[in-house]
Amino acid sequence: MIERILLLVLFMIGFWAIMAHRNIIKKIFGLNIINASVVILFILEGSRIGNEVPIMYGGIGLTADPIPQALMLTAIVIGVCVTALSLALAVHLYRTSGSFDIDVIKRRIQDEA
Amino acid sequence: MTILLLTLIILLAVFALFSSDLLHGVVAMSAISLSCAILFYILEAPDVAITEAAVGAGVSTVIFVWALRHSQRKDDRHE
Amino acid sequence: MNDGKTAWRNIRIFASLVLIGAVMAPIFLSDASWPVTARDYLMAQGQAESGAVNLVSAIYLGYRAFDTLGETIVLLIAVTGTLSLLARVESLVSPGPEDTSSPNAKGFSLSLEKRVSHALRTNLLEEVTGKVGPIVLLFGFYVMLYGHLSPGGGFQGGVIIASGIVFLALGNPYEDKSVLVRPAILGGMENIAFLLFILSAMSGVFLGEGFFGNPLAVSGTPEGFIILMNCIIGMKVGSSLAFMCIVMMGGANHD
Repeated sequence: MIERILLLVLFMIGFWAIMAHRNIIKKIFGLNIINASVVILFILEGSRIGNEVPIMYGGIGLTADPIPQALMLTAIVIGVCVTALSLALAVHLYRTSGSFDIDVIKRRIQDEA
Repeated sequence: MTILLLTLIILLAVFALFSSDLLHGVVAMSAISLSCAILFYILEAPDVAITEAAVGAGVSTVIFVWALRHSQRKDDRHE
Repeated sequence: MNDGKTAWRNIRIFASLVLIGAVMAPIFLSDASWPVTARDYLMAQGQAESGAVNLVSAIYLGYRAFDTLGETIVLLIAVTGTLSLLARVESLVSPGPEDTSSPNAKGFSLSLEKRVSHALRTNLLEEVTGKVGPIVLLFGFYVMLYGHLSPGGGFQGGVIIASGIVFLALGNPYEDKSVLVRPAILGGMENIAFLLFILSAMSGVFLGEGFFGNPLAVSGTPEGFIILMNCIIGMKVGSSLAFMCIVMMGGANHD
């Protein structure tokens, strides 16, 4: 139970980073933190029903649930794809407006419009 | 053991978000990935542990460092 | 006036955090028991139906192979989008005098003659990565090929192979670089791997098993299909991520 409260705190920290920070790179840090917290939640829940690795050697007891692990493999790779695309967009924004700060970017777009 | 690692991850996340040097934040994100990999090994998921270690501490850190190289390293208005 | 705006912004942020906490708290803190039916079925039938000892490999290559297809498509889209955005960043398209705009760019370039030397900078990175690169590639192939017997498989081996190719790109500055480092060859490898993936998925249709079915299911070695799919996915994921990293580091301008 304590672990799940800690995971909720981690999710809230990541969400606050996306909302409250003004630097785009800190917002991307927040995306990665949210991704990590959800992946840990699934693996934690799947490991409660058994205490062996899901590889069928002979003579083992009950294994952990292999389905959340297979889903989280795909989730981790997709997370790194999202990070790469968002970092490319952030660098492009920096090149056109000179700063990572979203207030500066907003003001420059309004000045040019 | 899992509670200890989760506390470490929370402290590293807070450090990454409050640092004024973005490169320190990138190194903290890499350390979060490493702690996640150890946590997955303890929770009986070795496939996910290998993937998280290779992706988080490898490819993700490389592209973050690339993004900082083409722009600035300092966080202008530290919040 | 500015303090009023900041206080209003803080109130809005606090209110939305409370709302999101109220929505996510039942998901994170629920006490329902995790169902065991799937695990029992897979422990009884998983190895016989797909031939792989590693149950996670049996799931993402046998029972839920469509997820793997979707993930390879997402990788393709991400690499294409990133590269098309990178083509407009000036310091990548035309290196040279533009590089002085970012003062820390001069220490990072891949080619040795463009780098400004610092008094404390040594050649440690190039020496170590040049020697360790082929060993990491070998380890990546091992993890990929033994995915059905021990922890490992297509994704894991592919990402380790991508790291090995990045090592090869960083090391050996004075000798000829290996042919794997050129972005044209990596792009070609990714396309061939995607084509082979679709072809091997269709091979199940002609032998009566359906799309993504195991065409060797009734023969003596059903795990041959799992090994083949692991290799194809490893090649796809490895060449995609290595392509993205090498073009980001500026390796595309030296051809």
